[in-house]
Amino acid sequence: MSIWNYVVTAHKPTNVTHSCVGNFTAPQELNLITAKCTRIEIQLLTPLGLQPILDVPIYGRIATLELFRPHGETQDFLFIATERYKFCVLQWDAEASELITRAMGDVSDRIGRPTDNGQIGIIDPDCRLIGLHLYDGLFKVIPFDNKGQLKEAFNIRLEELQVLDIKFLYGCSKPTIVVLYQDNKDVRHVKTYEVSLKDKDFVEGPWAQNNVENGADLLIPVPPPLCGVLIIGEDNIVYRSPNTFKAIPIRHSITKAYGKVDADGSRYLLGDHAGLLHLLVITHEKEKVTGLKIELLGETSIASTISYLDNAFVYIGSSYGDSQLVKLNLHPDAKGSYVEVLERYVNLGPIVDFCVVDLERQGQGQVVTCSGAFKDGSLRVVRNGIGINEQASVELQGIKGMWSLRSSTDDPYDTFLVVSFISETRILAMNIEDELEETEIEGFCSQVQTLFCHDAVCNQLVQVTSSSVRLVSSTTRELKHEWNAPAGYSINVATANATQVLLATGGKHLVYLEIGDGTLTEKNHAQLDFEISCLDINPIGDNPNYSQLAAVGMWTDISVQIYSLPDLNRITKEHLGGEIIPRSVLLCAFEGISYLLCALGDGHLLNFILNTSTGELTDRKKVSLGTQPITLRTFSSKSTTHVFAASDRPTVIYSSNKKLLYSNVNLKEVSHMCPFNSAAFPDSLAIAKEGELTIGTIDDIQKLHIRSIPLGEHARRICHQEQSRTFAILSVKYNQSSAEDSETHFIRLLDDQSFDLITYYQLDAFEYACSILSCSFSDDINVYYCVGTAYVLPEENEPTKGRILVFIVEDGKLQLVAEKETKGSVYSLNAFNGKLLAAINQKIQLYKWTLRDDGTRELQSECGHHGHILALYVQTRGDFIIVGDLMKSISLLMYKHEEGAIEERARDYNANWMSAVEILDDDVYIGAENFFNLFTVRKNSEGATDEERGRLEVVGEYHLGEFVNRFRHGSLVMRLPDSDVGQIPTVIFGTVNGVIGVIASLPQEQYAFLEKLQSNLRRVIKGVGGLSHEQWRSFSNEKKTVDAKNFLDGDLIESFLDLNRSKMDEISKQMRVSVEELCKRVEEMTRLH
Amino acid sequence: MWRQIGDREAGKLRPNSFSNRIKSTRIQTLQLSNHKDFISPHRGSVNTLQLDLTEGRYLLSGASDASAAVFDVQRGTDYGGGGAITRHKCLFAVDKQHEHGHKYAVSSAVWYPVDTGLFVTGSYDHHINVWDTNTTQVVMDFKMPGKVYRTAMSPLATSHMLIAAGTEDVQVRLCDIASGAFAHTLSGHRDGVMTVEWSTSSEWVLLTGGCDGAIRFWDIRRAGCFRVLDQSQSQLGRRPPILERSATIKGSTVKPSSSSQSTSAKARAPQRKLSNGSGAKHSPIGKSPAKGSMKQRLHPGMLSSQDRATAHYGAVTGLKVTEDGMYLLSAGSDSRLRLWDVESGCNTLVNFETVRMQTSRPIQLATSQNSELVFVPCMTAVKAFDMWSGKTSLKFRGHYEHVNCCWFSSQDQRNCTLVAMIDKF
Repeated sequence: MSIWNYVVTAHKPTNVTHSCVGNFTAPQELNLITAKCTRIEIQLLTPLGLQPILDVPIYGRIATLELFRPHGETQDFLFIATERYKFCVLQWDAEASELITRAMGDVSDRIGRPTDNGQIGIIDPDCRLIGLHLYDGLFKVIPFDNKGQLKEAFNIRLEELQVLDIKFLYGCSKPTIVVLYQDNKDVRHVKTYEVSLKDKDFVEGPWAQNNVENGADLLIPVPPPLCGVLIIGEDNIVYRSPNTFKAIPIRHSITKAYGKVDADGSRYLLGDHAGLLHLLVITHEKEKVTGLKIELLGETSIASTISYLDNAFVYIGSSYGDSQLVKLNLHPDAKGSYVEVLERYVNLGPIVDFCVVDLERQGQGQVVTCSGAFKDGSLRVVRNGIGINEQASVELQGIKGMWSLRSSTDDPYDTFLVVSFISETRILAMNIEDELEETEIEGFCSQVQTLFCHDAVCNQLVQVTSSSVRLVSSTTRELKHEWNAPAGYSINVATANATQVLLATGGKHLVYLEIGDGTLTEKNHAQLDFEISCLDINPIGDNPNYSQLAAVGMWTDISVQIYSLPDLNRITKEHLGGEIIPRSVLLCAFEGISYLLCALGDGHLLNFILNTSTGELTDRKKVSLGTQPITLRTFSSKSTTHVFAASDRPTVIYSSNKKLLYSNVNLKEVSHMCPFNSAAFPDSLAIAKEGELTIGTIDDIQKLHIRSIPLGEHARRICHQEQSRTFAILSVKYNQSSAEDSETHFIRLLDDQSFDLITYYQLDAFEYACSILSCSFSDDINVYYCVGTAYVLPEENEPTKGRILVFIVEDGKLQLVAEKETKGSVYSLNAFNGKLLAAINQKIQLYKWTLRDDGTRELQSECGHHGHILALYVQTRGDFIIVGDLMKSISLLMYKHEEGAIEERARDYNANWMSAVEILDDDVYIGAENFFNLFTVRKNSEGATDEERGRLEVVGEYHLGEFVNRFRHGSLVMRLPDSDVGQIPTVIFGTVNGVIGVIASLPQEQYAFLEKLQSNLRRVIKGVGGLSHEQWRSFSNEKKTVDAKNFLDGDLIESFLDLNRSKMDEISKQMRVSVEELCKRVEEMTRLH
Repeated sequence: MWRQIGDREAGKLRPNSFSNRIKSTRIQTLQLSNHKDFISPHRGSVNTLQLDLTEGRYLLSGASDASAAVFDVQRGTDYGGGGAITRHKCLFAVDKQHEHGHKYAVSSAVWYPVDTGLFVTGSYDHHINVWDTNTTQVVMDFKMPGKVYRTAMSPLATSHMLIAAGTEDVQVRLCDIASGAFAHTLSGHRDGVMTVEWSTSSEWVLLTGGCDGAIRFWDIRRAGCFRVLDQSQSQLGRRPPILERSATIKGSTVKPSSSSQSTSAKARAPQRKLSNGSGAKHSPIGKSPAKGSMKQRLHPGMLSSQDRATAHYGAVTGLKVTEDGMYLLSAGSDSRLRLWDVESGCNTLVNFETVRMQTSRPIQLATSQNSELVFVPCMTAVKAFDMWSGKTSLKFRGHYEHVNCCWFSSQDQRNCTLVAMIDKF
């Protein structure tokens, strides 16, 4: 890899941090706006559900998102503030369907310390001012003028240093804030202040409430006519207004989110840390509050935000599980829950750990993530594949073939679906109610298996059975003509198009027929050297009804041959090599290039470029798609032709930039497929699999497919062991039933195919599992799981005791073969030269695996290295070790074999708080740090002085805006040896917000080219809210802010493809490169993920 | 720790809260390091210490024997005690023998804030020398009217390269490295100036503490000082009713800056670019709103009664602005430590439990990064006080004589090293 890196998002953030409801896109339209950390999504509420309108990236991490309506406006404006102190006000432009910026600015200050409890941004209900709490001790006010424009901002001193929440009160003549804060003695109080805009200062507010509950950390302002505020604690809820005080005790819970149900504020939904949804009712007589009532509604994902939409529909945004659309029912269901989950929106966040595996050994990585937290913990299998959206399915066993037929030649839709079985043929058709029902075509022979069917010219249909070829009128459905196989021979394989039929009978005969109006004419006949295994005459020339060429696959000599039609002369013969016969051949054309595809019985696919005039086959390539015989069929989706390869690993073959690409389909095993474009199910496919027939539409090509495996507990680490075909995960179960929250830690072993739990190992009380590794040791053929743990005792600040456990998987059991006590928690484990390298608190420790006299094995400490604050993340390569420290950036260590010692070679002297490290190549290492940045450092082994050699030079810096938990080498896409991008090394990362990203190391020439493109794109693509891309990507932490270097933002670069032509031309002119060339180079990059 | 790391991983703990929490727990466990040994080349008391501001790696010290030295605090020169102790010899030292060395005690040594290529020393021999670190040669020197007590460079400055110098003289001088000449003199103190400190929020604001007990705030772009701290003024914390308040001092920072600047391609939605905060460059902190409260009218020629206000009885011996720029700590020869609110200039009346402090010479204070603790040399010990309660939270003993100076570095070592040097009389 190199120092020139390209960072791109493969899976966008899905952690919903904020949401709000209002009339944003039109006065009458109700919108749900959700923020997913660095993106906002605008949806429209329709009777059919939520309909997406817009999903845009924001150049910043969204800290606050609020809708408000200035005086005299008929629809809402959106206020967004980012964590790096930028804000903007957005308005919807209905004509262009895009966001326009009403106002924007910077609210950073040189003074003040950023708040610990998160930034607060609130808008006065009467739209007099926007209030921001960004720094301890300061309250920033952005006033509105009479026309709803923003005026100059100013700061007001807020003496309360530890502010937990600030809200505006409703119904006050002057804008009034209510502040929940904690004093120096850790007691919490609530206080109100009036904001005096004239004096730019606070005035003591109408009331204050000292000594509120210690768990209180949320305020809910109550709108008129009731007014006042709700103070939500862990054990109490208090309603407070100038002259009323009402409280009710609640069951202990930490309220994470609330949603207002009624406009008058008498009912609220509260979501707590355990995912329970409560309804809080303020009972009142006219405008006088008489009391509070709370009722449990049911369970949802753990909410980070709740938005009440309309008519009992509620959106639950979650950071720890899938976000949901729920309906609140009037009556409880059998389990006593009023909550009905209507829809789930996948959320991968937080990705705490993941591994890249290639379970099918296809060269395509799958990512298995530890996602979610608490009860919503799950494993997610993410792979780059194409999804089939099932529309209908019928149970049908033993399907041997399927074809779709039209009722007349001009009909745009398919009517019949011919399904062939071993001893019969059934015909399904769409009836008036759009249901699939069995019908009959009188002219067809339905008592035998059908070998092939096709629409023919002149409103005819062709059916080939083992004994005859039948030509049937599609209007009268009567037999018009029949061609019988010669006596003593039966038809083995057959194929046809609109005007031609080619079939092979026993005795190595190849027969060619042509279809006329009501006639079948045998035009030619040939005897070949061997039996025929497969045939194809798919027309790829100019005439869509007639093929000049026929492809024939042969038994015995394992070859594929091209014959000319109609004279049946052999043009080409290509030996396939090996012993596996071709099972399916297909002539097809993608993007103007003709190919011959030939699928073998063992799941391999050969492809050749076919010269249609000479019949010459060139550019032979072989790929593995599965392990079972493949059947190839063409289909079209979005007016492009693709090929479906049905097998145990169904694959779609398509072409992009004149290259063949292969993408998995998210189905287990497909025996047959045919396109079925019926009026009721347009653009659909009929798929025969495992005893059922499914009709479904196909997704866009190249999309990540995600499979969820809910665990009900929080998985922290994952590791795959190829030899035992298992995953081991370290998970935590939270027991919240008892008064004391307790945790139990497990090592769980899962099957790598079914993800079924095989066995588990429970750790001691207070023992936390910290790290896991699958490795083998020198002089030992076995493969082990090593687990590092820590004893986290309540009285200790830092663990002083831990264990390394070594397990072997035997007969589906985890056998503990060795354990070693350590003097601290084992943050990381790595296999290192046939030994085990552990990071234990401040120390790096190397253990060797030794044989004791009694034949058992043990870990024996060999050497170590001190000098870290906490060695959290360790990676190794050869004899080199890189350590990501808690707060001291990256250091490079080396193991010296002769001395048996580990020595520090170099370090980065910046004070970066690390969150993940990875080795890109021998000299370049990448790190992710606490403030959402990425950086690369390079070893300087040619340095002239010790000082230079001892310093890791920072070569790249970039603000990712995401908290990276893990880097892993690997790729999400199939690495085909025939593609250029296949040579680019990539690293995958996973983040707290559920982002899966790819970092690709580019050659310098390509980097320079794309960098130029990026700087041009910056000029053309304006950030939402006028936010600057350059500022957003600048490396920024507590200490410094510097421009990004040696990193490119792939998301920006790839958005080039979405630009309209005029903007593309503009960039093309600037770059002096043709648009086609630019598209090609950018598309190449999109194939990395 | 493991739990916090786990919470950060799962997004339950915000990364900046994580680092703040770890920092404060680490400070609580701060103690004298047994693993580091600085081999001092100085044969007199160490008067000043500073770690470079870029990497926090090189320690600069100045001592009474007219020498200054640089140490690498991260990488030891050799190891002792079986590898457990790292010894740090100085990388180089300049003393009287050096052709341009100081003749008398070095009272102040500071790094050039941008990189470690330059450092500045001030001495009792009335000279300020600017040194090139790589060649250890003096590249510039300034002759001062008296003994130099303290020099300072602004860590924020992007548009000037000024060394502020407090000397025996009543005037504070600004030495410009760019031109090699005095840029300004700031007059106002009635006695020598023991301590100077640049603001951490504005590159134009300088704070000085004099032997006359006054702490003055200067905006170097204007004549005269704009604030004198008064120990008896302690209004903060009360919000008087609106009418009375117009006469009191307020500390809001209103930034006049560009407005109504349309950047959007869509002209029909008028846009306004509000540039706040960053505007702090244009106006000093504490500058009162333009509405013309009394403060504004006073500037620059202040009311004589206020001009004579004192912050300490006796001399002000040390000043330190917290990193967030909101508070100022001052130490005086009255053995008091005071915490001031910078914006309003109010004495917060936090009662620090200082018992005795050195009175005769300038001392160097340090604060922890999150402004929780203040480290103060108290005779032979360094005490750490809680900033808000004034209670002693930590006490470091290890020196045999009076401590003159201390410096806090958060990124260093297992226990954040607090470097405190011995007075070797």
